[in-house]
Amino acid sequence: MSFAERMLKIDRRIIFLIIGLCTLLPLLYPVGLPIRISPEVRSVYDHIEALPADSVLLLSLDFDPASKPELHPQAIALLRHAFRKHLRVVAMTLWVTGTGLADQVISQVAQEMGKENGKDYVFLGWSPGGSSVIINMGQDLYTAFPTDYSGKATKGLAALQGVRNLRDVNYAVSLAAGNPGVEAWYVFGKDKYKFELGGGCTGVMAPGLYPLLRSGQINGLIGGLRGAAEYETLVGQKGRAVAGMDAQSATHVAIVVLVIMCNLFYLSLRKSAKQQGQIGS
Amino acid sequence: MIFLRRQLPLLITLITGSVFAAQYYVPHPASEQLLTSVTKWLQIIGGFALVLGVTSLFHVHAVKIRRKEAGWGYSLVLYAGMLGTIVIGLWAGGKESLNGTMTMFGWVYNYMMVPLQGTMFAILAFFIASAAYRSFRARSREAAVLLVAAVIVMMGRVPLGEYLLPLSGDVSQWILNVLNASVRRAILIGVSLGAVALSFKIIFGVERSYLGGGKE
Repeated sequence: MSFAERMLKIDRRIIFLIIGLCTLLPLLYPVGLPIRISPEVRSVYDHIEALPADSVLLLSLDFDPASKPELHPQAIALLRHAFRKHLRVVAMTLWVTGTGLADQVISQVAQEMGKENGKDYVFLGWSPGGSSVIINMGQDLYTAFPTDYSGKATKGLAALQGVRNLRDVNYAVSLAAGNPGVEAWYVFGKDKYKFELGGGCTGVMAPGLYPLLRSGQINGLIGGLRGAAEYETLVGQKGRAVAGMDAQSATHVAIVVLVIMCNLFYLSLRKSAKQQGQIGS
Repeated sequence: MIFLRRQLPLLITLITGSVFAAQYYVPHPASEQLLTSVTKWLQIIGGFALVLGVTSLFHVHAVKIRRKEAGWGYSLVLYAGMLGTIVIGLWAGGKESLNGTMTMFGWVYNYMMVPLQGTMFAILAFFIASAAYRSFRARSREAAVLLVAAVIVMMGRVPLGEYLLPLSGDVSQWILNVLNASVRRAILIGVSLGAVALSFKIIFGVERSYLGGGKE
């Protein structure tokens, strides 16, 4: 067996070890490479930045613990920005398995920023029905969510003053790890009830949402950990996403190097097979 | 019986499908009120669907345990996990925390579900790297184009990649914004046209597989 053949059949545990080290070492010894801000992330930031105080930001945290590493930092950065701008935040989730995470993230950031539940923000929780919850909220928010997550009646809450349905929302952002998520918020929400919509998603989902971005169906997109790191940089409060970018950088480069190596071995094998064929004939 | 099993569902589908397709274009308050009521029904049906799903899951795994089929031990673990979580969840009133104190349900969520789901997703990185090494090869021209595009996007999406290949950031943005968006849009249009055609077939009773394949 030639060297190239042996390298192509390398024990996968060696690859696992390389990826493990590429993840662990940058987390232990961060480099802090500069992060360039993409136009799609800046659009979300600029839109929130332009909203006057007391405007209503609807934040739909449509993800579960599997996507926590990418979407949790996005949620934290967005909430910090919204609370700093004194916006009223209406948070909710379309994913039942994400209810606990959503509650934790909003409570944690609200406490950090000194915001009061019911007055400065409200967490509506989860309601069954998936995409139909969006239509129901578009018709009447109080029939979709008669009470908030803590059981308080939503009617009369200061955070929801002047909000009857989705038409009264100034800006909505869905941080989604799948369906129902950003697409559902556009199809069943923005298209009918005419509010501005931004999106956040996992890295693997981002390419699928670019058609919505290019056509203006969403005004901005925060994609994966990179998007979260960009938003943290814009907000000026670096957190887990910026810390994770070094690890992601190292693993991406490691995978690229591995792929290039495997192709070099593959091409050298193919070349030698061709040469042997010519000698044989 | 044929009327109840076939004709009545087809009639309901025809009427509701036609009415709600038209409703989108009618902004009259009565039409909006109709939509409000029906979406509320949908939410209620969604709640029942959840109960139905859980019951069905219990039934499937009960059969596996009774017949001692291969992997029946995992079904036992599922039973224990689901029943335990349901009991604890009901006890805690479905709340992860009460007045800032974590409930037992919150403990199960934070210390079991969150790490388990996180671990499952994290493992993907290792398998993707291994799979990419083994199968991402330039066997043809098309595969070579895909390979080059993937390398550029992977480098352009991380700061170290942009540092090593300064142009990769702009090129990956172009790939995502132009090539990727246009191809995705074409796929979306195709899928949407297919969905419209399928909806018409269901509304007009041409496609009936959703009724099940029972005897008439």
